[in-house]
Amino acid sequence: MNTATIPATQRLTNSALWYGLLITLLGMATQFLYFLRPSPPISHLLPWINLSVPGIGLFLLVIGLARAFRQPAVYRGKIWGSVLTVIALLLLVGNVFLFRQTRSVPGSAGAPQVGQRFSEFTLPDSTAQPTSLSQLFAASADGSQPKAVLLVFYRGYW
Amino acid sequence: MRGIQEQLKEFQALGVRPVAISVDPPEVSANLRRKAGYNFTFLSDPNLDVIRRYDLLHAAAGPDGHDISRPAEFLVDRSGVVRWANFTEDIRVRPRAQEMLAVARNIR
Repeated sequence: MNTATIPATQRLTNSALWYGLLITLLGMATQFLYFLRPSPPISHLLPWINLSVPGIGLFLLVIGLARAFRQPAVYRGKIWGSVLTVIALLLLVGNVFLFRQTRSVPGSAGAPQVGQRFSEFTLPDSTAQPTSLSQLFAASADGSQPKAVLLVFYRGYW
Repeated sequence: MRGIQEQLKEFQALGVRPVAISVDPPEVSANLRRKAGYNFTFLSDPNLDVIRRYDLLHAAAGPDGHDISRPAEFLVDRSGVVRWANFTEDIRVRPRAQEMLAVARNIR
């Protein structure tokens, strides 16, 4: 039987391409999971999920594309499969870039560790009033004295 | 920081005073406090003196390539000893207020 004569409508749906597209989109959606403010260990896994899910999507798309090109008489998707794969590839590159960018935080070997003393410092507060670490432990207006200070270093508001 | 503000009463009830520190000058911090409705203390380290001393510098990571602080959190008790510290590897991953409250409960 000459497979080349099979009409386009009778060729098989290239499901790997559809699943590849779906998983790539799902991978993009995982970027929004940060808004749910996940707690550990999920929060620590999330960057890896962001990276691996679009990777799986791309892998499926490549499989689908290989089928479309090697067996064009059996499977559909030569043209739109190529387009989707290029889009998925670009998305994956973007995800890798984001992954590298957000994990470029330098180590802090010289920072005070648990059990070590946090030495005294003085910095201006938001009213430009010089404030020292020991002053942060001073009693407030209602007379209560903090037993601990939570120092939150952050990247800045810009 | 939004999480800390949301749980501010709980922190205060446990005797914990949250303090935010960044390179932002006082007027920028004042603006942020007003806009975001944060009513805990913000300190400014525009010259990176303290940030550098504690090895928290993230060089050239600011929007126009200036030096900023990396995200880091320390729970310091009255004697100045660090009781808990967190150094994230990913700027999108931060400790939850609940996690910090749990540690604070163990400090007398």
